Amino acid sequence: MILLLSLVIAVVFGSGAFLILQRDLFRVVVGIVLISNAANLFIISAGLTRGDPPIRPFPDGATIADPLVQAMALTAIVISSSVAALLLSLVYRLYLAHDSVDIEDVSAAEVREAEALEGDEDVELREDPR
Amino acid sequence: MDSTLLALPVLIPWVLAAALALLDGRRPYVGWIAVAGLGAGFTCVLGLTFLVIRGGPVETVAGGWPEGVGITLRADALGVAFAVVSIGVILASLVYEVLGGVRSRTFPALVAFMAAGLTGLFLTGDAFNFYVFFEISMTAAYALTGYREKDHQVRAAFIFAVINLLGSVIFLIGVAALYHVTGSLDMEVIAERASRVQPSSIISIATAVFVAFSLKLGLFPFHFWLPAVYVGSHPPVAAILSGALANIGGYGLLRFGADVLPRELELGTVAVLILGTASIIYGALQAISRHETAEVLAYSAIGQAGYILLALGIGGPVGYAAAVVYAVVNSMNKALLFLAAGTRGPLVGAAFAVGAFSVVGVPPAAGFVGKLAMFRASVEAGSVALTALIFFGGALSFVYVFQIYQRVFWASDEKEKAGPLPTRVLVLLLAGLVLAAGLWPEPLLVLGEAAARVLEDGP
Repeated sequence: MILLLSLVIAVVFGSGAFLILQRDLFRVVVGIVLISNAANLFIISAGLTRGDPPIRPFPDGATIADPLVQAMALTAIVISSSVAALLLSLVYRLYLAHDSVDIEDVSAAEVREAEALEGDEDVELREDPR
Repeated sequence: MDSTLLALPVLIPWVLAAALALLDGRRPYVGWIAVAGLGAGFTCVLGLTFLVIRGGPVETVAGGWPEGVGITLRADALGVAFAVVSIGVILASLVYEVLGGVRSRTFPALVAFMAAGLTGLFLTGDAFNFYVFFEISMTAAYALTGYREKDHQVRAAFIFAVINLLGSVIFLIGVAALYHVTGSLDMEVIAERASRVQPSSIISIATAVFVAFSLKLGLFPFHFWLPAVYVGSHPPVAAILSGALANIGGYGLLRFGADVLPRELELGTVAVLILGTASIIYGALQAISRHETAEVLAYSAIGQAGYILLALGIGGPVGYAAAVVYAVVNSMNKALLFLAAGTRGPLVGAAFAVGAFSVVGVPPAAGFVGKLAMFRASVEAGSVALTALIFFGGALSFVYVFQIYQRVFWASDEKEKAGPLPTRVLVLLLAGLVLAAGLWPEPLLVLGEAAARVLEDGP
């Protein structure tokens, strides 16, 4: 069970890391979501105990499964999903501005803008004898 | 009474942020409500600092749970030192932006959320709670980086968010692993139980935690995101990011390194010292080679983070005190420099020069106190190489800060119009504060020593 869980976490984390290295920003967001979920799986596996569900009243002499990891994973899921929403909105904002979600296109457009600005400054300098 | 004062600095910004989120932040009165609320939070933190310095750590268990079950809130000298300076920097940056005119309806609310997250994480005694507060302040920071919504700012926000989320996930895995090994989330209990198991089972967790905080602080091999983010940001946002948010890294390294996992820190001393040295030299050399003010300051931040790491590596009461004092002074410097570089006009150059002298460590600016503490730590460690490095780093920083001064403030350009008078007065007040902290360093040193005692005694 431990080997299986660690394999699953490794595969999820690995595919997330692979996606983060892509140029397509949507893939980067999906990569982050996968990596956050690898962390959630890790939290669950950090407190993997066998036992009855931790719901009161407890039966006498029963072993109770660790409820804390569930609470932690739940919190982490909420955080990761809200951050994923924030990232998606940032990507959408970039898409509206550049009509592309490829980081290369976005950077290239920025370089063009910067050059255009510098070009304006050169013109001003030439007009200004100082 | 004590426990109320402990909860208030977290609660006030929190309620404030929730209320502000409903209002339009572009209206001046909303901005001033935010300033008043954060001012109240700042006053509470100051009051808490006095209590902690006088009577030792204040502790309470949230929600009336029995001790050991509920989440602990704990204010000790280390936490309050970082809380005071971070909230102070956030407050100053917020006032600066409100005076200059807020351009987005969410700005005051985001700043208040970040203040709530930061005070929460400095005043919590629970590792997972630390992560939650840390995510609250980071999420506010991602959104703040995109403030003004220029394309390059949105792109910077995206880079910032992706890299730091990776760091947060690594930290979360570290917390889960600590829970697995020690069976607790309370930092004191973790520290106590971690000292009883083999270091080999914890050293990999300690490495993960170290990497996570180094990413936040922007240390040398983990710095690559930092210049892109600071260059794009609006000056008050850059001041908040480098003066308040980067404190998470410094505080986290001190808390988890020196307080919770001291044996593992000792095992990694050599690595810590090498990374600190590399950070100082790399940051300073890169800063000298850059032209744009924000870029120079960004690389300077990488270099300054190296000193904190160096002091952490030296360790002992003197080293830890130096790390705390240096981190506090560095926050003040960065806030002053970014805010001063964001405006123009008479006397702004003088304020910038005070900040520049403070970065270099020339008396009477506050930076002198920080550098002096660093020198004391290196002499205590008995290492000539470290003393020489601190001197050399200071000399390099002299070159880059005065390069900016020369380029920006000496070249008189009539086309640039002066910034509004109130923001200039604010920048001058900050410069006065940096000078005052240098002339009357006792409070700073007392705080540093008290924090070092917390770390040294262990839980």
